[in-house]
Amino acid sequence: MPKTGMLVKISLAVVAAATIATVAVSAAGAARQSTSLSGAGSTFVQPLINAWTQLPSQSQSPFTKAKHITVTYGGGGSGAGVSDIIAKTVAFGASDAPLTSYATTCKTCVQTPWALSGTAMIYHISGVTKTLNMSGPVLAKIYLGTIKYWDDKAIKAINKGVSIPHTAITTVHRDSSSGTTYNFTDFLSHVSSTWKNKYGATTLIGTWPGNNVQAHGSNGVAAAVANTNGAIGYVDLWYGITAHLKYMSIENQHGRFVQPTLSSIAQASKLDTTPKADGTLSIVNPPNKTKYFGAYPISTYTYVDVQKHSGSKATPLKTFLLWAVTSGQSHAAANYFVPLPSGVVSWDKTHIKQIVS
Amino acid sequence: MRFGDLILQLVAGAAAFGVVVIVGVIAYKLVDGARLSISTFGLGFLVHQNTWDITNGHFAAGNFIYGTAVAGFGALVLATPLALGIAIYLSELAPRWIAGPVTALIETLAAIPSVILGFWGLYVLAPFLLSDVDPALHSALGFIPLFGTATSGSNLFTAIVVLTIMVIPIISSVSRELFLGVPTELKEGALGLGTTRWEVIRGVVLPYSRSGIAAATILGLGRAIGEAIAVLLVAGGGTQISANLFQSGNTIAARIASEFQGAQTALELASIFYLAVILLVFSFVVNLVARLIIRRSARRLGTA
Amino acid sequence: MSAVAPSPLIRRKDRLRRRKAVNRGMELLAMAAAAIGLAILAILVYKIVRNGAAALNWDLFTLGQIPDAPPGIPQGLANAFAGTLVIVGLAAAMGIPYATLVAIYLVEFAPRRVRNFISLILDVLMGVPAIVLGIFYYELLVLTTHTQRGLWGAIALATMMLPLVARSTMEVLLLVPNSLREASLGLGVPRWRTTLGVVLPQTMGGIVTGSILAVSRVAGEAAPLLFLSALGSTSVDWNPLHPLSTVPLAILGIAEGSPYPEDRARAWAAALVLMIFILVASLSARWLAARSRRKILGSAR
Repeated sequence: MPKTGMLVKISLAVVAAATIATVAVSAAGAARQSTSLSGAGSTFVQPLINAWTQLPSQSQSPFTKAKHITVTYGGGGSGAGVSDIIAKTVAFGASDAPLTSYATTCKTCVQTPWALSGTAMIYHISGVTKTLNMSGPVLAKIYLGTIKYWDDKAIKAINKGVSIPHTAITTVHRDSSSGTTYNFTDFLSHVSSTWKNKYGATTLIGTWPGNNVQAHGSNGVAAAVANTNGAIGYVDLWYGITAHLKYMSIENQHGRFVQPTLSSIAQASKLDTTPKADGTLSIVNPPNKTKYFGAYPISTYTYVDVQKHSGSKATPLKTFLLWAVTSGQSHAAANYFVPLPSGVVSWDKTHIKQIVS
Repeated sequence: MRFGDLILQLVAGAAAFGVVVIVGVIAYKLVDGARLSISTFGLGFLVHQNTWDITNGHFAAGNFIYGTAVAGFGALVLATPLALGIAIYLSELAPRWIAGPVTALIETLAAIPSVILGFWGLYVLAPFLLSDVDPALHSALGFIPLFGTATSGSNLFTAIVVLTIMVIPIISSVSRELFLGVPTELKEGALGLGTTRWEVIRGVVLPYSRSGIAAATILGLGRAIGEAIAVLLVAGGGTQISANLFQSGNTIAARIASEFQGAQTALELASIFYLAVILLVFSFVVNLVARLIIRRSARRLGTA
Repeated sequence: MSAVAPSPLIRRKDRLRRRKAVNRGMELLAMAAAAIGLAILAILVYKIVRNGAAALNWDLFTLGQIPDAPPGIPQGLANAFAGTLVIVGLAAAMGIPYATLVAIYLVEFAPRRVRNFISLILDVLMGVPAIVLGIFYYELLVLTTHTQRGLWGAIALATMMLPLVARSTMEVLLLVPNSLREASLGLGVPRWRTTLGVVLPQTMGGIVTGSILAVSRVAGEAAPLLFLSALGSTSVDWNPLHPLSTVPLAILGIAEGSPYPEDRARAWAAALVLMIFILVASLSARWLAARSRRKILGSAR
C-alpha cells in the first residue's frame, strides 16, 4: 500500500478511537439499567413534576429519594402528551384537557386528576404598573380581535382610575395542542356565546384572529409576553409569577374581580368535588352563590393519563401516581398549586389501582 | 479473484441503490401520510387562506404558502445583491492576501447552525429591529404597506433577515467559483480593448455566469424555504396574511415543526403531511431546475 | 493629441472619467458588500463569545439540566453535550462508511447513466428539508417501535451526512488518475484490491475532509431530532437506546421560552462551544483539503 501520510494516519486513528470509545460507553450505558419512567405533555403541571422528580437534582429529588425510581418528563404540551401515550412512546402523559376533548383520544387509558391550579392572564404594557381588571366578555372580545387597543372603552370601563396608553394589543397563544388553551377557551366559551359558536373549548386553534403571536409551551408564552409591549397571554399561574409578570383580576359570576391565589382557586374547586367515572372535574366559572364568592373563574384540574395495561411499567407507575396524589401534594403550595381536596385524593387512590401490567 | 470483485461490486452497488430506496420510501411515506388530506381537499389546499380549523376539519395551506413565499423571496431580494457583491469582490478585486482569509470567513457563515442563528435572531436581532429599524423604516417608507408598525420583534421581517444571513454564503461561494472559472482570455481580451474592470464584470463575467448565478439563487431559495428551526424562533407564528412585513408570520416548515407532535385529528395530521409533501415537491423542483440550468449552460459552453 | 476641435476628444475624456467613476463606485459597492458580510459574521461571533464566555464554567459540562429550576440551583448542559457526542458519533460511524461505499460504486463500477441517475437522487436527498426527514423517521422508527431513541436521531443525521460525504468522496475518487488504476490492474492486482488498497488510500485526505465537514454540519441540526429524541434526558446518559438531548435541542428548548436569564446564559455558552467546534472542524477540513489536493495533483506524474 502506498504511504498515506502521517497526518492522515493520525486523524484516522483518532476518529477510530473516538468511535470505539463512543460505542463502548454507549454499550456500557445500555447495560446499566434502573427503573425509570418517561412522561410528556402538559407544561401547566411541569413545575410541580419538576419539584417532585428533578429538584435539586434527579437523584436527590423527593420522589426519587423516597422510591428509587427516576422520572424524565419532556413537556411539549398536553396534545403531545396524549399522542405520546396513545403511541405508547412514554409511560405517562399529562394533559390539562380531559381525554374526551381530543378528537383522537386514548381509549385504553386511565385518567387521574393529580394537580389543581389556575390559568393566569398575564400582560405587559409599558406605562401600566397597576393590576388590571378583566371580565370574561371583554377578554373574549380581545382574543376575537374585536377589541384592538388597550385603551378601548370596554377595558377602561372596568379599570376606572387607571391610565392606559393607546398601545395595540398582541394576543399570545400556544403553537401546538395545549391543555392550557383548552382551559382558557373553555372559560371563554362559558362567558361569550360568540366565542362558543366560533371556536368552543379546544386544545388548538389553527388560525387565531387579530394581531397574534404564537409561543411554545407555557414558558414560551410567558417569554413572549415579557418581550412584547402590549401583549396578553394565558399561562399556568407558576409561569406568571416566576416571569414577574402582572396578571389580571378576572371577574367571577359574583361580580368580584379576583386574582388567582391558592385560596381563590381552592374556593372554585368546591364546585365539583368528586371526579366523574372517567376522572374529570369541571370547576370553571363557578355560579353566583355565596360559597364561590371569592372564587377564581379560570381554575382547573390537570390529569395524568396512563395506559390501563402498562406492562412492566405498571408497578412503578402506580407507585409514582400514588405518591404524587399524597406525599407529592405537600410540594403543591410552594409551586402555586392547591393541594388536592381529600375527596379527590381518596377517589384517586382507588382509581389508580386499575393500572395493571 | 473474481469473487472479491463481485463482493465489492454487490455491496457497494447495494449501498448505492439503497440511496434510491431511501428517497423512494421518504416520498412514499409522506404521500401516504398525506393521503387523507389530499383526497379531501385536493389542490384547493394550496389556494385557500385563513383555513386551519381543527374542530371542524377544514384545512388549507394558503397562509403558510404566503408566509413561505414572502420569507423566501424576501431573503433572496436582500441576499442576492450582497452575495454577488461579495463574490465579485473576492474573485476580481481583492488582493490575494485578503481574498483567501475573507473567503474562508464568509464560508464560515454557512457553517453556523440554524438554531444558533435563530437564538441570536430572537435575543439580539429582534429587539434591535423592533426598537430601531422598524420605526426608522416606517417613518421613512411607511406609505408602502410593507413597512407597517411592528408590535413584536418576532415577525416575518426578522425571519427574512435571518434567512438572508443563511443564504448569502450559498450564493456567494457558488458565484465566486463561477467568476473564477471565467476564462482569463475573455477577460483579458476585454481589458485589452480599454474597458474598466467593472465593464469587464458587467459585460463578460456576469453574462458568462448568468445561468450559474440563477442556479445558485434557486439553491439559496431552496435553503430558505426548507428552514424550520430559525424561522420557528423568530417569525412569531402568526397566521394572518398581511402586507405588513413586520407582522408575525409563519412558513410551512416552521408550522410542521410546531404542530406535528400532538396533532389532534387524523385529518389534521394528514394535512401536516400534505404540507410536508408540498415542501418536498418544492425542494425536488428546486434541485432539478438548478441541475438543469447547470447542465444546459455547461453544454452551451462546451464543457459537458 | 491634437489641440484642434476639442469637442469629440473632451467628450471622450469625459466619458472615460465617468466610466472610471462608475468603475470606482462599483468597486466600492462590492467592497462594501464584503464588509457587510464580514460585519454580520463579526456581530454574530462577538455576541456569542461575549454572552457565552461569561457563562462558561465546569458546571456546564458536569451537571445535567433541571428545566424550569429557579436560579441558584446549580445545573449545566452536560446531558446535551453527552447526547451530542453519542448521536453524532453514531451518525458518523454509520454514515461515513455507507457514503464511501456509495461513492466507490458510482465512480469505480457504475455505468455512466446509472452514475448520473444516482447522483441526481443524491442531490434530491441533499435537498430534503431536515424537518421532513424528522417526520419521516418518526413515522418509520418511532411509531413502529413505540420508542424515542438517540439511535433514531443518529440514523436521521446519518441520512443527512450521506449525500455530503458521498459527493466529496466521489470528487476525490475522480481525481485519482486512471493511470494508477491501470498500473495496478496491469500488475495483476484484482479490481477489488485495486480499489480498496490503491485508489482509496489516495483519497483518504479527501474523505476525512468531507467527513469532518459533514459531521460539523449535522452536529448543529435540531430539526430532524425534534420528534425522534425530544424527550431527551436531563441527566447525563450515554445510552443511545434512550432518548437523548443534544446541544441544538437544548438551545432550542431554552430559546422557546425559559423564564430565567441563567438558562439563556447557559444556552449562549453551549452555542459558543458548538461554534468553536464547528469553526475548528471547518478550518481544519479546509486546510487538510488544500494539503491533500496538493499531494494528489503532485503524485499524478
